[in-house]
Amino acid sequence: MNLGNEPPSLDWHTTTDSTSFDVISNIMNGLTQMDGEMKIVPALASSWEIEEDGKRYVFHLREDIFWSDGKPVTAMDFVFAWRRLQDPDTGASYATFLYDIQNAYEINTGRIKDLSALGVEALDQKTFAVRLKQPAAYFLSLTSTCPTFPLREDVLVEHGSKWTDPRFIVTNGPYRLHKWQHEYKIELHSNPDYFEGEPRVKVVKMFMVPEQSTAFALFENDELDYVDNRSFSTSDVERYLKSPRYRNLPLLRSSYIAFNVTKKPFDKKLVRRAFAMAVDRSVFPRILRREETPLYGWIPPGLLGYSESTGLRFEPKKAQALLARAGYPGGKGLPKVELLYPNREDARLVVEAIQDQLKKNLGVRVELVNQEWKVYLARRKKDPPPLFRGAWGADFPDPESFMNIFTAGSGNNHTRWSSTRYDALLDKARAEQDESVRASVYQSANRLLCEDEVPIIPLYLATQNILTKPWVEGISFNALDIQILKNAVIKDPAGKDGAI
Amino acid sequence: MKRFFIRLSKIRTAVAALLVVLLICLLCVVSYLDLPLTGFAFDETSDAILLDPCPQHPMGTDELGRDLLTRVIYGSRLSITIGVLTALVSLVIGTVYGAIAGYCGGKIDSLLMRIVDIAYSLPDLLVMILLGVLIGRGTLGILIALALVSWRGTARLVRAQFLALKSEEFVEAARAQGQGHLKIITRHLLPNSIGPVIVAMTFTVPAAILSESTLSFIGLGLSPPACSWGTLASDGWRSLQTHPHLILFPSMFIFVSVLAFNFLGDGLRDALDPRTRSISKVGKEL
Amino acid sequence: MFAMIIKRVLSAIPVLLIIATLTFCLVRVVPGGPFDEDKNLPPEIIKNLEAKYNLDKPIAEQYLLYLGRLVRGDLGVSYKYVDRTVTDILGDAFPVSLQLGLAGLTIAIIVGVPLGTLAATRRGTFIDVLAMFISTAGISVPVFVIGALLIYVFGIWLRLLPVGLWESPAHMILPAVTLAFGPTAYLARLTRASVLEVLEKDWVRTARSKGLSAYATVSRHVLRNALVPVVTVLGPLTAILVTGSFVVEFVYAIPGMGRFFITAVMNRDYDLIMGTTLLFAVLLIFTNTLVDIIYHFLDPRIRVED
Repeated sequence: MNLGNEPPSLDWHTTTDSTSFDVISNIMNGLTQMDGEMKIVPALASSWEIEEDGKRYVFHLREDIFWSDGKPVTAMDFVFAWRRLQDPDTGASYATFLYDIQNAYEINTGRIKDLSALGVEALDQKTFAVRLKQPAAYFLSLTSTCPTFPLREDVLVEHGSKWTDPRFIVTNGPYRLHKWQHEYKIELHSNPDYFEGEPRVKVVKMFMVPEQSTAFALFENDELDYVDNRSFSTSDVERYLKSPRYRNLPLLRSSYIAFNVTKKPFDKKLVRRAFAMAVDRSVFPRILRREETPLYGWIPPGLLGYSESTGLRFEPKKAQALLARAGYPGGKGLPKVELLYPNREDARLVVEAIQDQLKKNLGVRVELVNQEWKVYLARRKKDPPPLFRGAWGADFPDPESFMNIFTAGSGNNHTRWSSTRYDALLDKARAEQDESVRASVYQSANRLLCEDEVPIIPLYLATQNILTKPWVEGISFNALDIQILKNAVIKDPAGKDGAI
Repeated sequence: MKRFFIRLSKIRTAVAALLVVLLICLLCVVSYLDLPLTGFAFDETSDAILLDPCPQHPMGTDELGRDLLTRVIYGSRLSITIGVLTALVSLVIGTVYGAIAGYCGGKIDSLLMRIVDIAYSLPDLLVMILLGVLIGRGTLGILIALALVSWRGTARLVRAQFLALKSEEFVEAARAQGQGHLKIITRHLLPNSIGPVIVAMTFTVPAAILSESTLSFIGLGLSPPACSWGTLASDGWRSLQTHPHLILFPSMFIFVSVLAFNFLGDGLRDALDPRTRSISKVGKEL
Repeated sequence: MFAMIIKRVLSAIPVLLIIATLTFCLVRVVPGGPFDEDKNLPPEIIKNLEAKYNLDKPIAEQYLLYLGRLVRGDLGVSYKYVDRTVTDILGDAFPVSLQLGLAGLTIAIIVGVPLGTLAATRRGTFIDVLAMFISTAGISVPVFVIGALLIYVFGIWLRLLPVGLWESPAHMILPAVTLAFGPTAYLARLTRASVLEVLEKDWVRTARSKGLSAYATVSRHVLRNALVPVVTVLGPLTAILVTGSFVVEFVYAIPGMGRFFITAVMNRDYDLIMGTTLLFAVLLIFTNTLVDIIYHFLDPRIRVED
């Protein structure tokens, strides 16, 4: 298979990168895991209780789980790992995942120096308890993510920063890290002691081929057994759309156009609404050719609180009327507006299409400004232009992961828009234990965001496209864009040495 | 008789090259005028996405349904302007710099060459990202960025030629006659270094046309929907197997114009060199 | 000669220092820092990370710290490849690029110089025009297109050669050929121009009139004098080729230095950028010194340092 790029690190505390998670998810397990429908099911923990109205979780670990050096996985490994995640010296970006735990935020920001103040404890060898400072309905989904995986204290003490080296790393998942040639290849070997049974495919070779058309050529030459978005350009996939080996899965990854609401004329709600109604989202699947789902609301289909009717539809006549009401009939009087976007093929096509639509439908002149990735990020942070293109991939399958980026305090909200009403709705949803109440609260927040205030125009939901060789089966993907190989099967192992 | 034909063909290629170059320059001028030659606008999107060449769209259409012929014509605007200007600018800077270093020699040469080493070693990519932030988009920014990287090679080439030539008899003779430095450089040294310099110059043209497309990746180049041959080629090359027209036509235009510039450069060299006629004879006899 | 080499080595020290200083300033002036990510990190965490790498100190102090480490031969650590030292990374990547670069360079010289000489001596004939077409194609077609074409023809269509990856000597062929295209074209044109230049000289005609054979004239006298411009461009060209071409390494999925360098720039991986730049500078100074020495052998009248 092809990873596309080098995983920046295999330390599941410090890395934030989906490529790293692709590797880590196959060599490690957490308390829980996600099944094909993104439901949380047991993994290292065989069962758990939620106590005190959602403020305390008690996990019971399985008896038959072992690290790759033969030692059993214990509750202490979780205590150590979660403390290290919050330790400021670790510099873990995803420490925020567990900020709902008592004292986590205080420890991570250095207000409390004592790591043991964190609300986690090992009740015995196999029982792990967590105390939250407030209920968080999505907490269980977090326990399936890589940053919350356990870690062995003795391994870290012995090998220091080199512990992720294949010679030293100790893992508990279906595969073991066998070899790591940087910017080239990672080789995994199956774990014979895995608690769900040893995987059928014994050797997995993960190459890092950055150029899509080369990766695809390798696939056509049988050097790669399956490929995904990272490994073919839009036009390559065209030739296989009819093939039974082609699959298309929606991802929890959305693109949007954001306004800087402090810049004229976007300080006016009416103008923002007019822009949102002037963008025909149905063109995106045609341009990007990967069966993307057009989006009108910010909560994507499949998640709690999604509603098809939320969001402003494409209605150019109404959009023109709104713009006229805002004082710019036919686009007259509107300044030339800048749209900032990063340098990626899909982003370019999308913003070019939007530029043309806004010109046709509203008479607005949009100037496209593309920037190298880091300059784009810096600009968006320091001085966001009137319009910019953004994308967000969910960290865990819950509307919270999408909605909270537009709260007042969020570091990912570059729109300069904030609403106390919106923040209050999200606080309410987060603490709510009843699913249907929670869904309706998110729905109101979604309407506030996408119909009333409109600091963003949601565009589309990205998809994952997969092609496999006829002899490969059983690779599972989820909408967080992580592939699980443990159930993979190769039908003709004679030809392929049981390797992927 | 045979020699006559050879010379004729030489003149013919040079004349043909000149014609092609003029045609391309004309295309470039026309593109600045925004004439509705093809019936489409270069940024006019349509539902006719990725059509193969057909009577209505002789070069097909791109991912957004824009007419490729219109875009290729529009693209000549920047590509030719940048190609020619960059070559000229780097030629002037590089020649003057290299001439001084080579002619003076010694400490001055050493110092000037160390500066070239430094200029070579600084990461171009970072310099250009910074330029993009400071200058922003536009032809001037692209020109500065490209000239900044292309003068160094010319400077080293001219310097080497000068080092080799300056101890030749005819230079010594000129010096003995009491001719001034400037005169020696312009009358004797430069004309004799013209060959490699012209080659360097004709190579700067395609290099500039092609690297302009990479600049747009770091926020220095064009802002869409504007396009150039370079950006058209770099946007289209992944479709080599499925939609070859996207890469074929822009590349063809680059190829033909570079070829023309090369043949013209060759002719130019002959014209500028006082002794060419007799040499082509020697060349032939060898 | 020996004195010149000593002088060069000594003058290399301030040159390297200037390059290090300028690059140091450059990486910090360019917008965007190593920890700017799409998913924004909380300020607390950025502070933790910056403290870990001393990036919270004043620039001047960072600079002195860097120079201090440099003198001790410590090139620092990478921020992106967490916990790998720059020396480690370059130690892995440089040999790969070196092999590929030398292979490409050899092809370029073996094909380019004879092609140019042939074109010059057979001036105006079919061979000359053909050489012109080949070299024009070599420079006017983008490298990635050449790569894609070669992959398609030799990899997918004929199935003769591997289309990518870095496993066996056979894997080196396509990338080396791709890498050699531009330089071959350049060397061919340059050789042609400068051989023509030399053929004009009176002494060549004298040699011919004295009855020296055409082959002997060219090989013994003309080429030797015509090689000055060729050797001149070979200096920087060698340094550029052996430190890796990003496009070629990217297209063929080769773990070389070009790839690491571009990734480092994109990630603002400060120390790795510095390390790669300095390695390149050292190589450049080395090859350019070599060029100046070779001048002397080609044409003893050339005196580089008076």
